[in-house]
Amino acid sequence: MAHFYESMLIDTVDGFQCKSYSNQHPEGYIIVKPKYIPKDALDLKGLKYRFLFEKCMIRFNLFSDKEKLKESIKQFRKKFPDYIYECKDTSNWYFAVPVKKIKTVHDSKKGLLELMKVPEKDLDQYLTLVRELVEFLTKSGVGINNLGITHSTLLGNYTPGKSDIDIIIYGKKNGWKVLDYLKTAKHEKLHWKTDKEWAEYYKEHKTSESAHFTEQEYVNHMRRKKYEGMFGGNVFTLFTVEEAKESWFRWGEEKYKPIGTATITGKVTSHYDSLVRPGCYEISDGKFIKSSGENLNIDKSIPITKVVTYSIPFVQQALKGEQITACGLLELATGKKGKKYYRIVVGYFDSYISDRREKEFIKSEI
Amino acid sequence: MHFYESSIITTKDGLHCQVYGNEHPSGKILVKPKYIPTNKISSDALPYRFISGMKMNRLDLWINPKELKKYIDDFRKKYKHYIYKSNVHDISPLFFAVPKNRIEREYSPRKGLSGLMKIPEKDLDPHLQKVAKLITFLLESGLKLNDFGVTYSTLMGHYSPKISDINIVVYGKDKFWKLMKFMESSKNHDLRWKTYEEWEHFYKKRNRHMVHDKDTYIKNMHRKKSEGFFMETLFIIFAVENKNEAWFKWGQEKYKRIGIAKFSGTVNSNKNSVVRPGCYEISKSAFISGEDTCKNLPISKIAFYSRDYCMLAYPDEKIEASGIVEEVKQKSGQTYYRIVIGYFDSYLSEKRDDEYMRVIRN
Repeated sequence: MAHFYESMLIDTVDGFQCKSYSNQHPEGYIIVKPKYIPKDALDLKGLKYRFLFEKCMIRFNLFSDKEKLKESIKQFRKKFPDYIYECKDTSNWYFAVPVKKIKTVHDSKKGLLELMKVPEKDLDQYLTLVRELVEFLTKSGVGINNLGITHSTLLGNYTPGKSDIDIIIYGKKNGWKVLDYLKTAKHEKLHWKTDKEWAEYYKEHKTSESAHFTEQEYVNHMRRKKYEGMFGGNVFTLFTVEEAKESWFRWGEEKYKPIGTATITGKVTSHYDSLVRPGCYEISDGKFIKSSGENLNIDKSIPITKVVTYSIPFVQQALKGEQITACGLLELATGKKGKKYYRIVVGYFDSYISDRREKEFIKSEI
Repeated sequence: MHFYESSIITTKDGLHCQVYGNEHPSGKILVKPKYIPTNKISSDALPYRFISGMKMNRLDLWINPKELKKYIDDFRKKYKHYIYKSNVHDISPLFFAVPKNRIEREYSPRKGLSGLMKIPEKDLDPHLQKVAKLITFLLESGLKLNDFGVTYSTLMGHYSPKISDINIVVYGKDKFWKLMKFMESSKNHDLRWKTYEEWEHFYKKRNRHMVHDKDTYIKNMHRKKSEGFFMETLFIIFAVENKNEAWFKWGQEKYKRIGIAKFSGTVNSNKNSVVRPGCYEISKSAFISGEDTCKNLPISKIAFYSRDYCMLAYPDEKIEASGIVEEVKQKSGQTYYRIVIGYFDSYLSEKRDDEYMRVIRN
């Protein structure tokens, strides 16, 4: 097992650009989501193209048409088997970069420190905004050394007025500190979507995830999340990543047996780990509502204690004390000392090409 | 050794370099460092840019010469592996060169454009859409896609849609001249040439206003069809030499510095004036001023490194050139004399404005 920050950009020797997709990783691998794949590498359909760093790249999108995605992943697995990690602990597969295939890791923290050294007169409008936003966020008490930039902001291939500003917050404690600060902080350039704007967004961007919510339910969930807003007309997104010492799980310390698709409900006893990827809600009084077309072999004496998400739309979805409902892959977890519990996992890679794609969600009764 | 000018090279220690010639010494690529990380050396006199996650200095040769000299002195100390001492010059001018083992990645304008043109228009941003449309228009000249490339910020992806130029590369001098012929007569509603005022603005920059007579300069610039606006974005078309058409081969000539002088002459050929380094073949040279060692020497070539002098003069036009006079000994045993304008050293002192070439008003 190894710690490696989530949301870091990795270039591979095969020309892929990947984004780390977890803070915990199996030995010798980094769990990632391929972000850009050279067009010439695979014959992928239904995906968008981007011109990046001299090459025609395909933006790998898990939300693309399911059948085409299935075909894309099939091709990917066949041509680049080294980038698939077959996990014995979860009996599932992950996209992963073998450490020996890493060409460059783009350092988010160092990148921000470098940016902050550039005199304002030499920054364009977009980078000036980034700096201003970072300076504003540091008023939360989180220092510049615990912040970073990623994606196009880091690599410099942003489009002013169009590209998001992607900020990394290092450490969950710091993440919550910033998010708490943003609940009340004011800045002339800061704008949060209003309920009306969220409602419009819901109508315009219906996804398999939002389909589980009425418009009002969606607005109720989104209005209190402070990880995405507008600053000076640009969307900004805050990604919190875990420090090694604060990881809520360690890769390899538990085994997970997939049971099947299930919907459960329970009361959130902690949402502290819900702002990272994978995120986790600890729950009590977990109950099965239904299983999905399968006769699942469930031992009712084993408690359901966790809801886990790899899907960003479901981070910060519920708070302590709230009743949640979640549909995802039911796993039987077994700890090192043999202690067993059930958990629901939302957003595993395989879910995007299975019938779980349309079924998975996490909803709070608010 | 041949390697296309205008390609971009990133080095293992983070420099972004622009290839600065089509002919290179064995094992090295002559470059101009374009962006240099600030972790080893930095200068507030140079502009800063945030590129590839690093604070970089942009090497601008037109800043105060004293500041530039100080920066280059620092560069020589911290990046000595990128300083090249030429063994074909008796006194080596300053050359920057990247040893092949220090190359992190080569960015090819040709491959880049080929990649870009494969992308459906709907997936391109407005800047890249303009590039694609411009290329589609240029293809009407009869040149093939493989004859073109795209370079600098468009190639590297760090362009600013409303600010950045479009820099097009044409592979081959003959192809370039063919394209220029096409541009002279072509019409496109998205194409326009610089106005008198726009050329006047350009004229006021760098040392141009000190060198050239304004009206002559602007008149001459108007005939330059390698630079204009397409959909209101500035485009510049560069030529690069194919291997078989290089006007000199590195190592086939030896250069002896004779002195600094100003000569006049008449252009015989400007065919090689479209590349970097570029060259005018001249005749009827006449010494105007300078070191006595240069007096009465028959100058037959004007070589230059600055793109400012590309296609400035045409055959039969009278020019004046000021720079370093070199005696050139060819491997065949033949000797000729040339003036060189714009070795990197020339930017390091106040005398940089003394090196130039201009068309003399008849």
